[in-house]
Amino acid sequence: MTAFLLNIVIALVWGAAGFWLRQNTKLSVVEVSALLALTAGLVLPPLFEQGALFALTCTAVSYAAMCSPQRCCSYKDMLTISGICALVIYAGQSVLVGVGGRLGTSAAVSVLICILIRKLLNLDQEPKAAKGRPAG
Amino acid sequence: MWWYQILICVPLAAAVLDIFNLLPTVFGRIVVLAVLVVGVVAALNRPKFKLSGQLIKSALISCAGAVVTFLLSTRLGLGAVVASALVGLVGAQVLKGRDQLIMYMGSFVGMSSALRFPTVGPLVAAGLLGGILFELTDECWVGVGGRLGTIAAAAVVVVLSLIGGF
Repeated sequence: MTAFLLNIVIALVWGAAGFWLRQNTKLSVVEVSALLALTAGLVLPPLFEQGALFALTCTAVSYAAMCSPQRCCSYKDMLTISGICALVIYAGQSVLVGVGGRLGTSAAVSVLICILIRKLLNLDQEPKAAKGRPAG
Repeated sequence: MWWYQILICVPLAAAVLDIFNLLPTVFGRIVVLAVLVVGVVAALNRPKFKLSGQLIKSALISCAGAVVTFLLSTRLGLGAVVASALVGLVGAQVLKGRDQLIMYMGSFVGMSSALRFPTVGPLVAAGLLGGILFELTDECWVGVGGRLGTIAAAAVVVVLSLIGGF
């Protein structure tokens, strides 16, 4: 249970960091995502017993952070996506094992779930601060 | 028609099949390949689609990203996450525009386990296919984070289905 909660908390931190980097630096989406993934891959495994899982989650969150400002326009959106992403990675640990792109697929599923929730709850809003570079 | 968008759903279909342990079966492989064929035919029939040298360029960039990442990950023991991130960072410095994205997408293909790809040959095929799928799905899920990984997963799943790698 601790690992599960810690996984979500770390994902939220990484998501917020990714959004901040997109908004406040001139780094490209690839650079932001790769920097976040590299940090996760180097820092988390030695720090925690479940560090490998946390690193995977944060890497997936870094891919989700590549969203365009139109898809993810606030910290609230990014944190929601990050939380969902952590759940998807945790629940899907035994799905498509060893298949490259699995983390990206989990990230995309999380973003799509977030978009769906926003549409269902009529929470769609105009992008407020579109300072970040558009995603590809 | 929007049927070409089914291409990017290959990994989602594979994930559902995997949950029910159907992916390694003949049925599972046929479903994956059927989705691929329908998607590719629909994508090629799009009025906007033009066969150009960009398709080959993308395939080669993606393949390079995949192979370098795979070698860094498995031969040098850096691990998939670090290897992919390094390739992405270097690619972002060396390449421009969408080529950066293609290289990063290729690195996701290279994150595959050595247990799935005991030899480099099928991985090269997956890398090339990833670049081609990137061009065929250029209007799918635009701006959705994780899109590149989904395309990479589609390429890997298709190649693994063809060679019986599941």
